[in-house]
Amino acid sequence: MNPLISAALVALGLPAALALLLAVVPKLRRTGKPAALLSILGSLLALSAAGWLAATWLHDPKQVLDLTTSWLPQSGKSMSQVGVHLDGISVSMLLVVAIVASCVQLFSLGYLSDEPAPALGRYYAYQSLFLFSMNLLVLAPDLMQLFLGWELVGATSYLLIGFWFTRPAAGKAALKAFVVTKFADSGLILALITLVAWTGSFSWNATLPAGGAEWLALFLFIAVMGKSAQFPLHIWLPDAMQGPTPVSALLHAATMVAAGVYLIVRADPIFAAAPHVRLFMTDLGAITALFAALIAMVQTDIKKVLAYSTCSQLGYMISGLGAGSLMGGYFHLTTHAFFKALLFLAAGAVIHAVHSNELSDMGGLWRKLKFTTVAFVIGSLSLAGLPGLSGFYSKDLILEAVHESGNPLALGLLMATAGLTAFYMTRTVVKAFFGKPSHAAEHAHGPGPSMTIPLLILLVPAIGLGWLAGPMSKLYGRSYAFHLDTIGMVTIALGLGGIALGWLIYGMGLLQALPRAFAPIARIANGSTVDDLWALSYSKLGMGLARAIAWFDRYIIDGLMNFLGWLFMWSGQRVRTLQTGNVQDYLYAVFGAAALIALWGGWR
Amino acid sequence: MDSSMAQNWLQVTSTSAFPLLTLLCLVPSLFAVAALFLPGDQPWAHKANSLVGSLVTAALSLVIFSRVDTSHAGLQVVDKFNWIPSLHANWFLAIDGLSLPLVLLTTFLTPLVFIGAWSAIDKRWKEFSIALLVLETGMLGSLLAIDLLTFYLFWEIMLVPMYLMIGIWGGKDRVYATVKFFLYTMFGSVLMLVGILYLYQKSGGSFALPDLVKLTLTDKEQVWLFGAFALAFLIKVPLFPLHTWLPDAHTEAPTPGSVILAGVMLKLGTYGLLRFAIPLFPGAMGKFSPLLLTLAVTGIVFGALMAYVQTDVKRLVAYSSVSHLGFVVLGIVIFNQESLQGAMLQMINHGLSTGALFLLVGFLYERRHTREISDFGGIAKRMPVYASFFVFVTMSSIALPLTNGFVGEFLIFAGTFKEGMHSAIEPGKFNWRMWVQVLGGISTAGIVLGAVYMLSMVRRVFFGEIKNAANESLSDLTLREKLIVGTLSVAILWIGIYPAPFLQLSDATIKAMSAPNRLQIQQVRSPIDYRREMQQGLAQ
Repeated sequence: MNPLISAALVALGLPAALALLLAVVPKLRRTGKPAALLSILGSLLALSAAGWLAATWLHDPKQVLDLTTSWLPQSGKSMSQVGVHLDGISVSMLLVVAIVASCVQLFSLGYLSDEPAPALGRYYAYQSLFLFSMNLLVLAPDLMQLFLGWELVGATSYLLIGFWFTRPAAGKAALKAFVVTKFADSGLILALITLVAWTGSFSWNATLPAGGAEWLALFLFIAVMGKSAQFPLHIWLPDAMQGPTPVSALLHAATMVAAGVYLIVRADPIFAAAPHVRLFMTDLGAITALFAALIAMVQTDIKKVLAYSTCSQLGYMISGLGAGSLMGGYFHLTTHAFFKALLFLAAGAVIHAVHSNELSDMGGLWRKLKFTTVAFVIGSLSLAGLPGLSGFYSKDLILEAVHESGNPLALGLLMATAGLTAFYMTRTVVKAFFGKPSHAAEHAHGPGPSMTIPLLILLVPAIGLGWLAGPMSKLYGRSYAFHLDTIGMVTIALGLGGIALGWLIYGMGLLQALPRAFAPIARIANGSTVDDLWALSYSKLGMGLARAIAWFDRYIIDGLMNFLGWLFMWSGQRVRTLQTGNVQDYLYAVFGAAALIALWGGWR
Repeated sequence: MDSSMAQNWLQVTSTSAFPLLTLLCLVPSLFAVAALFLPGDQPWAHKANSLVGSLVTAALSLVIFSRVDTSHAGLQVVDKFNWIPSLHANWFLAIDGLSLPLVLLTTFLTPLVFIGAWSAIDKRWKEFSIALLVLETGMLGSLLAIDLLTFYLFWEIMLVPMYLMIGIWGGKDRVYATVKFFLYTMFGSVLMLVGILYLYQKSGGSFALPDLVKLTLTDKEQVWLFGAFALAFLIKVPLFPLHTWLPDAHTEAPTPGSVILAGVMLKLGTYGLLRFAIPLFPGAMGKFSPLLLTLAVTGIVFGALMAYVQTDVKRLVAYSSVSHLGFVVLGIVIFNQESLQGAMLQMINHGLSTGALFLLVGFLYERRHTREISDFGGIAKRMPVYASFFVFVTMSSIALPLTNGFVGEFLIFAGTFKEGMHSAIEPGKFNWRMWVQVLGGISTAGIVLGAVYMLSMVRRVFFGEIKNAANESLSDLTLREKLIVGTLSVAILWIGIYPAPFLQLSDATIKAMSAPNRLQIQQVRSPIDYRREMQQGLAQ
């Protein structure tokens, strides 16, 4: 077998084997630390495999390798192929996932050091399962395997959000995340069965009937809206922050929520033939970006700020892909994975230090947590799009693409979001790390090496990946050369303006009228409004309908059946003169009557 | 009749010198007879006897499996001899791709149910083991019988032990539940008996299915006879709105009864449709297709919504069966290769997953003597292994990929949408295509609703802090219990990850069965597609 294929199989199979091992050998799982180290080792081996693959492909970006076998046989034919599909896109995504997953698994060792051993073992079993599921999705040769991975990452997300299952809020959040994304996933199921009914396979390169691509793209995009938290299906993502912070970094910022974006990249031939859906994506992505950024401005929980920021940045990616820029959308996925994972892990270090998510419990932390502060600030600057940092280049690509697609509305929304992003991140940085320390902040303790090393590793791509945009673009089959034009310059100005304004208001205590002025606006747009609407339709309408139907079933349908039963009994009472009390007589009657009817019918 | 419509799948392709299938049916009953001679006050003797009996049956079923050539359709390992000469009734047993998976499911589940019953049944073990062993004979016989009189005999044999099981070992409303169960099923059976006798007359004295499918029946006869057969089978399934006996029977039945009822007996309804009702009366099936499709999809959605508001875990699982069996009926009504394969597999899947759920609910009931969701909460803390298994089985029940449920449901959907998209529209006529597309679309809601009601229940039972002090002392699963659900979990994963060998079991038979019957169904429900499919068939 080709050694490159073997490497991919290691990245896929090793985490699966470890997850299975930890699941079926409780003795090992309950030891905690050894189980954790085994899982981390697995992720590191997957990382080296992915690293080698990426290095090979950077050398020869055009290479395509496949190893597939038939799944779901259909009378000799095969409906679906499973296996590994290696090309520039899957290899680069594999590396992103492996880097972030390894960092997160390592970080969790310190972050969850207070957990009892069995819980830690369970956590790492889930982590290995997640790495397998995500790699299954990334390496998919067709839409079916992608869907298998898609659903499995959803299930692992459910398990990891509900990791602290004794907290009622965690149970609720896990359920909500699963149900909302499952609701959206019916779009993907529709797409799969439509695709197979039309083409007999699940390939995204298949020739479609006229107009078919629009329908398929629409179905697929419904699923993307759920997984990648696009308005109005974003409601599960802020709640998902109930999971441990490293989980938020890996699943709910860097990789799993980006699966929707990855799906669009993979199914590019379908989306390219669907201009209407693409236009919708551009607009909806821009709306989500602005909407989530507005909400992020008023959040008091550091993880919620980052969660809404993730929604907002996913909006950018969707918008960019809608505008037809595969490079922009996918490259922003990549840079975002690193700087957002960095931000989440740094926030994790803060939460670990002050034992609270609330910004009001922080403040002045830079004295105690110098390195964490540096990491968080650099992550924020990258997110805010400061020139030179990776986030700037990918965001610029998207804005250029949206501009070129001739959509001034979406462009306007996205550029406004760029300013807002800089503003709300500055607010968060100031509130958490500068200003007057809270009581908890005074007693904060710094993170250990298992937490600082991942931060250090993630700092590198968060800063420098933008400079690698050229070679990276070849992996996607595109070409790229950076050039700064008007849009780029305006965005830089907006970003700097946002930072300056944030510093003036929260750092220097000036212009206090401004936050008071926009607070009501932001509150109107606050997450709970959309959430309440969903809750109304879900619990009130859905529950009401279910109760009505259950009542109908119990009293009308079953009532009718019981009435029929009673009617027979009643008529039986009337004709009880025929009753002899002899069982044989009744049986004779039953069979005799049956025979008579049959005879009559037969001779007629 | 046209040669393309010949029912070649009912030709005998292999016979057995030794009556293997008869032996398979009788082995459980032989052990039941042995149990008569064992002392009634020694439960362990009956536990051992019944376990050995069910294991011998399972081993024998594997021997038979090795004799079956799954790459060809046709009746295999046939046992046929003159039974009641004066009636021309033959003892006629055979196995093929339709019955093989369900026979294996039955012989696989029964030993697990017996082991599960060691703690679930605490009185009258002698009578219990006899009832369940006789029930196994009834189930296997019903699956293997090709002669309608033989079939009817076994079909009725099943009824009595289940009646006793609910009536003796059941919960507090057991009398109401048994009477309801008995009346419903008996009502269907008697109508079917009338139909069987009518066919016997019409054919000039044969009960054998291969003879009866050759009969030429008028449209009116088809409709009435299909009605009689289908009613018996659809009550068993149960199809909405004939389902109201099920929640009561399930809730009141002891755990072993629920597992067998959900695991195997419900499938005999859908199996009966495939084996008898449709091949005998395909034209009527075409006529009833729109109605059955509507009822199946209504059942999927209504069953799920009704499950959502239940407060008793077991009742919730019972209603989920209504929803899941709706998918199976959907696959059968659509009647193409994909949908039928999905329906076959989904029968097995439901047996494994819902069987496992009922066992798990039973384990909890044995510990706490309650099944009310509100009595629990946070018990994952006390029973982590139990919680893990429960969540896993839940995931298979809601069709998570890489568990069995996904493969079955997906094939049913794929078949349904293929039907919807490949059908043509004939102006001014009844529009089968629209019907399938609209109802098929609605049925996908069943997937989402499944996640809603199952996971809501999981949250309320397992997540959170323990509020009820009685739950503080709950003990986790014993080794015996782990073994039972562990075995089922392996099967669930195996089918989910590598479904090919399971699909292979019935592939050839479904192909051979669906070809002639589908054409006759299509002729009635969608003539324009019938003409196209006819031409395609001739071209091949």
